[in-house]
Parts: sequence; structure tokens; C-alpha cells
Amino acid sequence: MIAVSREDNKVVVRPAGDSIVAASIPELRLKMREIVAEGVQELVIDLTDVQMVDSSGIGLLISAFNSQRKVGGRLAVIHASGEILELFQTMRMHQHFSVSGN
Amino acid sequence: MSELNLDDELVQDYLAECREHLATIENDLLAIEQGGADIDEQLVNRVFRAAHSIKGGAGFFDLSKIRELAHRTENALDLVRSRQMVPTPEAVSILLLAFDKLRELIGNHRASNAADIGEFVVALTALAAGSLPEHEKSSLSEQVTVQVPEANKGIQVSAFDLSQARKGGKRVYLIEYDLIHDIERRNKTPWEVFKRLIKCGTILETVFDLDSAGTLDDEPSNRLMLEVLYATVLEPDLLEGLVEVPPERMRLIEKDGNIRSLAAPVPVPAAEPPAPAKPQVEATPVTQAKPVIATPALEDAPKTVNAMPVPANEATIRLNVTLLDSLMTLAGELVLSRNQLNESLARQDDRGIRSGAQRVSLVTSELQEVVTQTRMQPVGGLFSKFPRLVRDLARDLGKDAQLKLEGGEVEIDKTILEGLSDPLTHMVRNSVDHGIEPPAERVAAGKPALGTVTLKASHQAGQVVIEISDDGKGLAAEKIAASSVSKGLVTREQVQSMSDREKMALVFLPGVSTAEKVSAVSGRGVGMDVVKTNLDRLGGKIEIDSAPGQGSRFRIKLPLTLAIIPSLLVSDGGQRFAIPQVSVGELIRIPAAQLAQRTDRVGDAQILNVRDRLVPMLYLADALGVPRPDSSLRALNVVLVDTGAFEYGLVVEELHDTVEIVVKPLGRHMKGLHDYAGATILGDGRVAAILDVAGLAARANLTAGTAETASRHAAAETNSSGELHSLLVFHNAPNETCAVPIEQVSRIERVRPAQVQHLGGRRTMQYCGSSLPLVALHDTAAVGELSEEQQWVVIVFERLGRPLGLLAAEPLDMLEAELNIDAVTLRQKGIGGSAVLKDRTILLLDIFELADAARPEGAPSELRNLASAVASGDHALTVLVADDSEFFRGQIQRLVESVGCKVLTAEDGEAAWELLDHHAGEVDLLATDIEMPRLDGLALTQRIRADGRFAGLQVIALSSLAGEEEIARGLAAGVNEYQIKLNKDELTDSIRKAARRKVSDPAYATT
Repeated sequence: MIAVSREDNKVVVRPAGDSIVAASIPELRLKMREIVAEGVQELVIDLTDVQMVDSSGIGLLISAFNSQRKVGGRLAVIHASGEILELFQTMRMHQHFSVSGN
Repeated sequence: MSELNLDDELVQDYLAECREHLATIENDLLAIEQGGADIDEQLVNRVFRAAHSIKGGAGFFDLSKIRELAHRTENALDLVRSRQMVPTPEAVSILLLAFDKLRELIGNHRASNAADIGEFVVALTALAAGSLPEHEKSSLSEQVTVQVPEANKGIQVSAFDLSQARKGGKRVYLIEYDLIHDIERRNKTPWEVFKRLIKCGTILETVFDLDSAGTLDDEPSNRLMLEVLYATVLEPDLLEGLVEVPPERMRLIEKDGNIRSLAAPVPVPAAEPPAPAKPQVEATPVTQAKPVIATPALEDAPKTVNAMPVPANEATIRLNVTLLDSLMTLAGELVLSRNQLNESLARQDDRGIRSGAQRVSLVTSELQEVVTQTRMQPVGGLFSKFPRLVRDLARDLGKDAQLKLEGGEVEIDKTILEGLSDPLTHMVRNSVDHGIEPPAERVAAGKPALGTVTLKASHQAGQVVIEISDDGKGLAAEKIAASSVSKGLVTREQVQSMSDREKMALVFLPGVSTAEKVSAVSGRGVGMDVVKTNLDRLGGKIEIDSAPGQGSRFRIKLPLTLAIIPSLLVSDGGQRFAIPQVSVGELIRIPAAQLAQRTDRVGDAQILNVRDRLVPMLYLADALGVPRPDSSLRALNVVLVDTGAFEYGLVVEELHDTVEIVVKPLGRHMKGLHDYAGATILGDGRVAAILDVAGLAARANLTAGTAETASRHAAAETNSSGELHSLLVFHNAPNETCAVPIEQVSRIERVRPAQVQHLGGRRTMQYCGSSLPLVALHDTAAVGELSEEQQWVVIVFERLGRPLGLLAAEPLDMLEAELNIDAVTLRQKGIGGSAVLKDRTILLLDIFELADAARPEGAPSELRNLASAVASGDHALTVLVADDSEFFRGQIQRLVESVGCKVLTAEDGEAAWELLDHHAGEVDLLATDIEMPRLDGLALTQRIRADGRFAGLQVIALSSLAGEEEIARGLAAGVNEYQIKLNKDELTDSIRKAARRKVSDPAYATT
């Protein structure tokens, strides 16, 4: 179950399960689309439970970033595991949106 | 150009050496940059030495540009080393680029003299002058844009990173990943893919094509494009195997900025640094070539012409066919043994298994031996490069010198041989440069004009010894010491306590030089520390021997092979350690009873007497941080180890076998531990660390001077006033230090407070099957009580007629010191006196009074009998005690009185003589000290013997001086007995004998 919490202009989405992979993406994608449509200023993805992100998962995060950028919002990834943090840094994701570890 | 043939082996050796140096410089420089102002001297020294080595060789081969550039880098590094310049990123960048240029020049050394190094020289000079213009500094942080073909964008990458990445023959590729097709569809995760890339190279930069992902409203994209700029040593065909991306999406970025798709049929490009034998043929059309925009100011495109083939490091080895044959035979044997073993195992045949195992073990040892032999190479090959070096060097320096070679057939492990090249070159060069004098000077000194440098290899006790000797002027120990002091490497005090040999050993410290001027050959104070570092790495030891005016000799001891070395196994704190046999001098076992005689403590240092040599001691337990083995009960195991510069005694808990161990290097994370040289796996599968005896000593601040200082201290103390006493020092309450003469102590036992039993108002403990009465100082004197926090000990006195234990506390110490004993100020019952030692007041206990306290019923029966015997009737014995120490006089008096004798006392020989004179015929026995003012004991005895009235007088000399010579002199003077002060048994025994004589022959003493 995807946990969503809101505070002011910030929405924190905490994906369920320990990975963001092809199988779990459609639901997450839908959820994020809804939230972006609300016009939230900052979309925060909380990766506390996530151990692995595959290519589609990265694609999804980039899509979310693109969507937010289009409407002038921001994207942030928090509580990324060491591995994911390193992956994002290698891919220079942190140059586009804020990425922080747990 | 010199007349040297720049193709010959010598040059190739030099070039290979340079490449080796350059290979490590980069990381070192980067680490220096990281450290900033907080300099890791070892690191800076290493880079400095590398530059120095390059310079030295270049000067020799007349490679002027290489020499100049190396010289400039050396100057800059010298500033870093002396902390005059902070290694800022800018400074390090300039150095890095300069070393790159050096690498380029070395890669093409023939053309190097024509190369233009002007800009580097300017930059380095400006750096050294601290006045590098801002705009030039900034040019180093320039960005380069790598244009991505078929895409309207470029990848920004720092020019510096890019040039860094190309080092060491790395290629830079631009790889276009599709995260979906190239990764996900192959059931991989991006993380796995990147991890693989990072393992084989460096990801310089990545650019994600954000548009390829679309937005959340779009359909999930099936194309996610990521551009990766990747630097690796892999050649294109190998890269394809690694990245699993279609070749048309992999591109090689060439050094000139051209971009070439790997899909195009292009011949495999030649290795970088650029120097292929074949010219760089741009044969095939370069597809999609777009230039790299902008190059950094100092990045030079190589002007490669007429390049030499660069020989790779020797990876092959020439082998004797017979050796190969015996390997084959042994392999066959091994197979046979295995079959035998398998069969026996299947049949559960115990005997067969045993014999099979035995065979396997036999064959394995032989196999190991032969395999080791295959790595053995004669040192002659290495030696052969030196005659020319000596000749040419001598000619350059205007000297006459010849080189004698001996033992070229001695074989040594290939790795060691290769590692020896550098140090030997330095040392031979030093011998010619510093050792051999100019001809005129030699003739004036009565030596032949022709100087001789000898290089000799030989086998000695499983080691290879290489000697470099010359008949030159020798090492000036004082000059080296002075230079070391002025450089702040050692203090003046340390130098004062050093022997000449140790002073000479200072040349192994970085920065020490004896040369008056800095020359291209030597004099900067690097060199000998290179030698030492290299030899240390090879597990070798170096010794210096030199006589002024007669020459010097360096002896290098090396293990035959690095991989398997004989080692002594020891253990401490439950762990086992290996000490390489080459470091082990001898094994010493000191029984607890001899501990006092053979070891001594001066200041913080504990020293050991080995056949009249004093060596410092180091407890392995201290280094490990575990409790020391209990030396009061057990013998002490000492391994006398040699660090090359000095010896010391390593105290270990247990000694085990000597075994051959296979050396495993320590992991990188343990690199900082200088206590260990490596590790090995023992027969039982456990790991044992290999101790680095020099590292241990360094960490414990043990130096060559320690033992000397210690002995000097001891001597100094002997010279001070007062009298030499051997004392056992211990504690009562934590701040109360007490001592008893060591001669009175029989044993020391550790006890727990709970072991002390209180019965009938007395303290006792179980000891050797009976109850030992215990006393504590606070029983008789107003002092503090032992606290339970302290480690309690019982000091056992057995010479009082019956054993008595004194409760005391650690720390215990033994010392031999001159004490001026004050028998008044702190006198209490049980405390005979006090003395001040190193600002500490020590209470000297009167053990007889304490014994009385433990036995209020009086003296034990035997003594009582004796006392009654001597006291009965007219037979009371009169003893004259002469001692200038009030403390000892009191002690002896009480002792003598305790056996029922009458006592007269005198504070010196003169007073004793007066007493004797007045009471002639009354005194039966004289107990006299030797060292006394006015009239000493010997003179007193001589005067007594010269006087007929005292013919029957027994004279017992009581002295702390117990050398054979003193005893002989005492006996010559006429003493009847010579006793060590203060042994109650011996003294009462003598009194008893005198008493018996008097009882049986009353006329005896009265004459």
C-alpha cells in the first residue's frame, strides 16, 4: 500500500514494497499523477522501505521530475539507501532534484 | 646527447624504473592534495624521492630536459616537504601536469632533449616562487565539452579530469545506454551495470536524457537514454564484452578530440602513452568525428615522432630445462600420491592413508622447493649494470674508481632482485660520489689513486647478503648527526647518547645528507632513505660499518624469497604471532629468580643485560594492550630481535616452533598498522600476524639510544653520593611507596584480598601447604591501608627463621640506586628510614620490626636457642657493627641483637677502630661495611690484622659491592667472610659459628 502524507505544500509518497520495479510501477505512477495534478509544490518520494530501483523505476522518477518541472513544482527523494544514493549520484540525478540518504 | 647508446639495457632499466615511479605518483599527489596543509611526510617524501630518482638517472644519461623538469618538480616538492608551501589543488595540478609531461618525455626519451618544457618550467618556477598569476592557475580548472554525436548537446567535463583519466594508458569512451533495452530487458539493474563499470574503470560523467523519460502523463517510455563518459584501460573489443551495448552506441574519444564509433571497422588502436612502433595511420574514415572543444592551457598534444617500442615489465622468465623436468616429475609424483590416497580412502585403509599423506607432504615440500627455484635468478644480471655506472660516474666526477664484483652466481628471488635495483644503484652511486676521494686526496692519504668499490653477494644462513664496500673516506658520523639535528630529525640529546654506528644509521632518515652541495647526482638527502624503504619492503636489513679514512661497508641481508620465509612463532595474550627468522638474534629465557640480576629499570626503560651488553626490552603484551605475563612467578621469554639499526628484547608470553610460513599481505584497511608486516595462515587454519620488529620498536619509542641512555643513567647514579642499594619497590596505600632490600625477599605472590584469612586476630594465608603469617605496614606504623582496588601482592621473607609475608600492592619495581637514607625523619616502628628517589619519597621497611609485630611471642625457637646459647654465662658474644648508613647500622644491630648478642656500633672505620682499641678483647666479631668515610672497611681490617691483639677477631665484611674483584680484595685485606648486604641467613649463620667457637673454646676470642 502506498502511504501518502501531506503537510502544507508538500506531499510525501512512501511506496510499499522493497523495490520500485516494472511490476509495482503502474500503481505508483497513477498515484503520483494524481498528486501532481493537485498542483502540489513539492513531491517527496520516501524510499525508506525501498532497497532496489530498476531502469523503469528510474524512468518513473524522471517522469515525475519532468511532470513537476512542467508545472513549476519540485521533486525530492529522501531516505534513499546507500546503494540507491550512489546510483543516483553516478547518474547525476542530484543535479536535477534533491536526493538524500537515510 | 652523450655518447651513450640510448637503446642499451641501462637506459631501458632507467626508463622502466621511471615508469614505475610515475605510476604511483599520481595517487600520492592526489592524496597529498586531500591532506592539504596537514602533510603526510611519508607521502611527500615518496613523491620527492621518485622525482629525485628520475632526475638522478636523467642527469646520468644526459637527458637534459627530463632532468630539468624533474629538478623543478623536486624543488616544488621540497617546499611542500618543508611546509613552506601548502599543496593546494592548483599546486598539485601543476605538479600532476608536470609529471604527465615527464611521462611523455620518458615515453619518447630520444626526442626529449628537443622537447619544449618552457611552460612547465615557468609554472613550476612560479609555483616555487609562490607567485603564480591568478589567470594561469584558473586555466587548470577549465571545462571541456565532449559533443555527443547525433544529439544536439555536449557533456561538460573538467579538462583536468579528462587528462587525469587518460593516464596510465586509459582510453576514454562515450557509451550511450538505453536503460530499458540494454539493462532491464537483459534482466539487469542499473546498479549492477554501474558497479561493473566502476570495477574496470572510472565513470567520468553521465548525462541522462531527461526528455526520453517523458512525463507521468505520457505512456511509460521504453527508451531511457543515458550517456556515460567512461575511462578504462580496456581495449574496445574487451569493452564490448563488458558493457553489452550495441557497438554503434559506443565511441572512443581519442586524445586529439576525435570521436570514433566502435561499430566502424577500425584497426585496434595502439597503446597509450603514444608510442607504437607503427605510425598512427588514420587509415579508415573516422565516423562522426567531432572535435573536443577547448583544450586546457597546459595539455599538450604529444608530438610523437619516431617513437621507441616501450618494453613491458618483464613478465616472462627464463628457466633451466632440467628444472622444468623436475617440476614435471614432481607433478607426476603428486598424481601418483593422490591416487594412492584416494584408493586408501576408499578402502578405509588407515596405513595406506597415512603413507599416502606422508608422500603428499614429501612431494609438496619438494615441489615448493623447485617452484621457488624457478623464481631464483643470479644476481650477476643485476650486478652487470654497475661497472659502467661506476666508470662513467667516476669520470664525470674526476675520480679514479673501479668496481669489483663477487658472487654474481648467487641466486635470489626475482621479485627481490627487481626491488634491489634501485637501492643498489643509489648505494653504488653514493660510494663513488661520497666515498671515493679525488685521486690527489687519496694519494696524500697514502692510498692508491684508484679507488675500489666492491659489490659482493653471498649466502649466509639461509639469507643472501649483499655487501657494498669502498675504500674511500668513510662516513662522517658527526656530520651526519649534526645534519640530522639541524634538520630537526633527532634532538641533540638523542645524538649525545648514540654510538658512531647509530649516528651513521641516521643517514636512513629522510632528508639527511653529508654532501656539502646539492648536485645532480646526490646531496639532497634523499637516497639512503629510498634504500631503506625499498629494503624494508623486501624484508631486508641494512647495516653500516665505517672507519674514517678507511672506507665504509654496507651489508644488506635479504631473505632468499619473499613468499615463504622461516619464522619463529610466539604467542601473547592468547594470539600467535610470527617473527621472521631474519630478525631473530637469539632466544633468552630468564628464570624468575634471575630477573633481578639480568634486568634493570632506568626511568621508563627496562633494560636487559645480555652478556654485558645492555639492550632495551619491549613487552609484546604492552604493544597489544593485554596484561603482561606474570614475571614474578614464571620465567620470562625474551626474543632478541634486530631492527637493523639496533637490537632489543621482545618479551613474549610463550615461544613456539620455527616454521616456514607463507606470507600474505595485509589488507589495505590495515595498512596503517606498522606493528605488522603481513599475516600468515598456520597449520591449524588460524591466522597469525607477522610482527614488524622495527615498527613495534618505533611505536614504543624505542631507539638505539635507549639502552645506552639507560646504562649511562645507571652509571650516573653510581657516581652520585650515597650508597648503592638493590631495592624492591612496592606500594602500600596507593600514594605510599615502600622498599625493602632485594636480598631479603624470597618470593612475591599475587593475592586477592579474599585469600587473606583472619584467624585469632592474626592474618594468614595458605602458602605451600601451610599457613603463612602476614603482616601489613599499618600494623606497626601510622600509614594508610591497602585498598581493595589495588592489586595485592605478598612479599615473602623466608630468611627470618620462619617465613613471613608482607602485604603490599603493585606496581612493583626493582631498582639499584644510590640512596642517602634518612633514618630519623620518618622513622616509625616497621619503617627503618626513608630516601628520596626521583622526587619520590620511599619508605624503607625494617623487616625485623615487622617480623616482631607478627610474632609478639618473640623470636622463633631456633634463634631463641641460639640467643640463649650465646647469652648464657660468660659466653655472651659481642659484635661491633661498623656502617656509615644509619639505616643499615640499625638493621644489622637489630638483627644481631635478635640472636642475643651484645652490640657496639660505629659510624665509620675510624670510630670502629677507637672502640676496638678501648675494648680490646671484648669484641668477638666485627661486621663492617666496606665503603665508609675516614677509614674504610678494608683499611680497618688491615689495621686489625696488623695488630696482634685482635688475632682471633672474626671480621665479616658486609657490602653492596659484590664483584669478584671486591671479594678478592676483601679477602686479601684479611676479612674472614665477605657478605652481600643484607642477608640475614648468612649473617646469623656466621654469628652462630662464632658463638659455637666461643662456647667450645672460651679462650679463643680473648687470646
